[in-house]
Amino acid sequence: MTSVVHRVRLPIASTPSVKVGARVQPADVLAKRRPPTDGVTIQVAGQLRLPAAAAAGSLVARPGAMLQRGEVLARDARGREVIVPQACLFLGYDPDHGTALLSPLGDEEPIVGHVRGRVTRVAPSAIDVRVAGAVVLGVAGSGAAVHGKLQVAVAGAGDELRAGAIDSETTGRIVVGGSRASAEALTRARAMGVAGVVLGGVLDKDLRDFEATQLRRREVGGGGGDFSIVLLEGYGKIGMDPGVFGWLQGHDGKLVSLFGDDARLYVYDADEPPSRRPLARAGDRVVGTRRPYAGAGGRLVRILGGLHVVSSGVPTRSGLVRFEDGRTGIVPLANLEATEVPPGG
Amino acid sequence: MSVAIDTELALLLDTGTAWTKAGVIGRVRGRWRLVAHAAQPTVWGEEELLRRLVEQLAATADARLTGRFHELLGRSTRVECRTPARAARLAVVAVSRELSGAAARRAAEAAGWHVTDLVTFDDGRTLAERVAIVQSAEVDAWLVAGGFDDARSARALEAAALVAAGRRPGGPPVVWAGSEALAADVIGLFEKGAATAVGNPRPDARREEPAELRVHLQGLLRRIVGPADEERLTPVALPRAVAALALAAGLRVLAVDIGATSAMRVLGEPDGTVESRVHARGGLAGAVLLPGAAGRVVRIEVDAGDEPAVADLLHNLHARPASLPQTVEELAATQAAARLLLASLVEDGLGAPLDLVIGCGRTIAAAPHPAQAMRMLLDGVRPIGVTQMAVDAGGLLGPLGSLSDAEISEGLTLLADDLLVPLGTSVVCRGGEPGRVAMRVTIHRAGWPAYSPIEVRTGQVQVVQLPRGQEAELTIEPANGVTLGAARRSPRITATATGGAVGLVLDGRGIPVGLPRRADDRRAVVASWRDSLMREAPPGAERVA
Repeated sequence: MTSVVHRVRLPIASTPSVKVGARVQPADVLAKRRPPTDGVTIQVAGQLRLPAAAAAGSLVARPGAMLQRGEVLARDARGREVIVPQACLFLGYDPDHGTALLSPLGDEEPIVGHVRGRVTRVAPSAIDVRVAGAVVLGVAGSGAAVHGKLQVAVAGAGDELRAGAIDSETTGRIVVGGSRASAEALTRARAMGVAGVVLGGVLDKDLRDFEATQLRRREVGGGGGDFSIVLLEGYGKIGMDPGVFGWLQGHDGKLVSLFGDDARLYVYDADEPPSRRPLARAGDRVVGTRRPYAGAGGRLVRILGGLHVVSSGVPTRSGLVRFEDGRTGIVPLANLEATEVPPGG
Repeated sequence: MSVAIDTELALLLDTGTAWTKAGVIGRVRGRWRLVAHAAQPTVWGEEELLRRLVEQLAATADARLTGRFHELLGRSTRVECRTPARAARLAVVAVSRELSGAAARRAAEAAGWHVTDLVTFDDGRTLAERVAIVQSAEVDAWLVAGGFDDARSARALEAAALVAAGRRPGGPPVVWAGSEALAADVIGLFEKGAATAVGNPRPDARREEPAELRVHLQGLLRRIVGPADEERLTPVALPRAVAALALAAGLRVLAVDIGATSAMRVLGEPDGTVESRVHARGGLAGAVLLPGAAGRVVRIEVDAGDEPAVADLLHNLHARPASLPQTVEELAATQAAARLLLASLVEDGLGAPLDLVIGCGRTIAAAPHPAQAMRMLLDGVRPIGVTQMAVDAGGLLGPLGSLSDAEISEGLTLLADDLLVPLGTSVVCRGGEPGRVAMRVTIHRAGWPAYSPIEVRTGQVQVVQLPRGQEAELTIEPANGVTLGAARRSPRITATATGGAVGLVLDGRGIPVGLPRRADDRRAVVASWRDSLMREAPPGAERVA
């Protein structure tokens, strides 16, 4: 069984709540923090009965400092003190009005790891978790970390994820589509409580339409949980590599974690997925990465000698590829990736 | 009796984030010439690159050396430069978005930093949101700006306090580029040695003086991304080569490099001084970040396809920077994106007219047709006046710049024939009324009959064939209200044009290029400009659009 280390970054002033060696689940809280809230001002000069400008010299805390409840903010020569009423960040002093700007710390908030595994390192800035499973890296994505069970919702790697495939059974799931999903399908997925979507590609226009819908929804007070999208091949109507699609089908129903912003998918208790190698050799199974063969799988029959001028006019090293969809074409080697099935896969 | 044959080779390598370019220099009939050249995605590795070079050498070099090229390349002199593998990240915290924030951001981007966050007090966020951004930022340095030099702005100090609240002790360095009067207070907010004060880029409401900040940030960036072998970093090496070239030729030289991820402009003066700017996200991968990029590409390029397809392409350039355009549409859209990136690279002006513009980077220098490279440079840079245009097709300038000063000059001299591929000369004017004559150009060439003056109308491009190695004397008569950039004392301007793969381009489209509003008219005009540049014409004939 393969494993990878996932790093959970911690904002400053977080307090880890796990120790090295601890086993954690995706929903577990790994750390807590009290986030600063909106600013409040308190009178300093008034309390010290000093002119506003002169009171600046009485500050004992320096701007940027975190103060605990009851800590002294300012003290004058006669021993009069200004105490902060609650834990806060001291952000500045206004010499015209004699006030201090504070950002009180809010209620404690959990930092959820969204991964299952064993904690291997705890530091003030990050917690490392070793995940027993495989990682699939996408080329783009968006959205916060989510987790749920994997559900393949299309029959083939080149099929479009349609709105009709999203139903109540997909709620809380990470749904795998094929070549694309329309804005309508993404909006329905979000509305049905789908946690995330993994696609071969998506049209930029569909993604922007979907994001615009989400923005309007937030403006009218519609909330809901996080939602994440990861693209494995690129933008446009691009099918998923059939090898990776088949591998995901083999892990249907398993627990996964999806990190949209990092374009990363963890599949727990899974063997290694088919991997990619940049420089393909004759005989390799390959996948195209650019139009007109983006996402298409095939066999690199032979590499042409010297430089070949492709239809754009660019002279480049190229190869003859027989694609699985029946097409045959000459493709720049820079636009091909060899697929490698791990031993025993 | 057998005679041992040997040769001396030098390997020039330019390793970019996405593509690596290599040239082999060898002696050909007593002169140093470029004898092999290859470019490939960087991830393919050096072994593959050397294999390609050996193949080329085996096909062209002395047959008695066959079988020894691997060994010869192995012991060849290596001259190399590289682009830093990752962009250094910086967060800007400033008082105002338009003044201190914009000035600080511009200086940071021009110094090669990737500005990940810009937090200002007028950014529409709540204080809690600002604190949250600062506390979760993952950066290599902080830049704080605000306040004019003659004032102790409480808001500027608050900006520094925000960074002090979000930065871990012992964390990334802090640069204070705000009010001089607050420097000591700001430095006192951080542990000893953490913060440095530099000149305020907005010392008052009317002036912007970013030079000191930019130079400081360039130095800081080099310490962070490439503490060793600094001279081998492309952002250091390319300016050194351009400076030497400008000094040796006595020309004002602009080199522009649109890479896969970053972009660079280098301006070399005839006295050998140089000014360079690196935009960490100014390369093709960053085109998607330009405001309205897809729409603008479609507007300036008729072959690019529809806007949704261009939007997908721009994202894919970001996702797969080492891939190549395989269709005509994708190439056209990529080159149009490069023109937009070039325009944004020079948007703050270049001062006096240029003598020579050099296009570097694969998108420009390895364009399939020289006219495409000319078009990108002409439309992107809009060099007013009479300017020689060339490309660094071999990718040799960067590696040469990593040598010592004396060796750079020597290298420029030795490789004079192969260093740059001349595209020709452009004559670009500004002003004039649509449809009216903008300038009359008379071309005198030794051994050729004198032409009657060529009339270039406003909004028109004409190309006259002038092959590489040929020169022509130009007499240019700009119409009233039309300028070639420099002050003139006579109604006629004389200049020398040198030939190249495209020839002499007479460009009356103005600066910036004016486009018709109606989509059909715009498409027709843009297509005519493209055809005018691309069309093959018999020597001496002009092509008009």
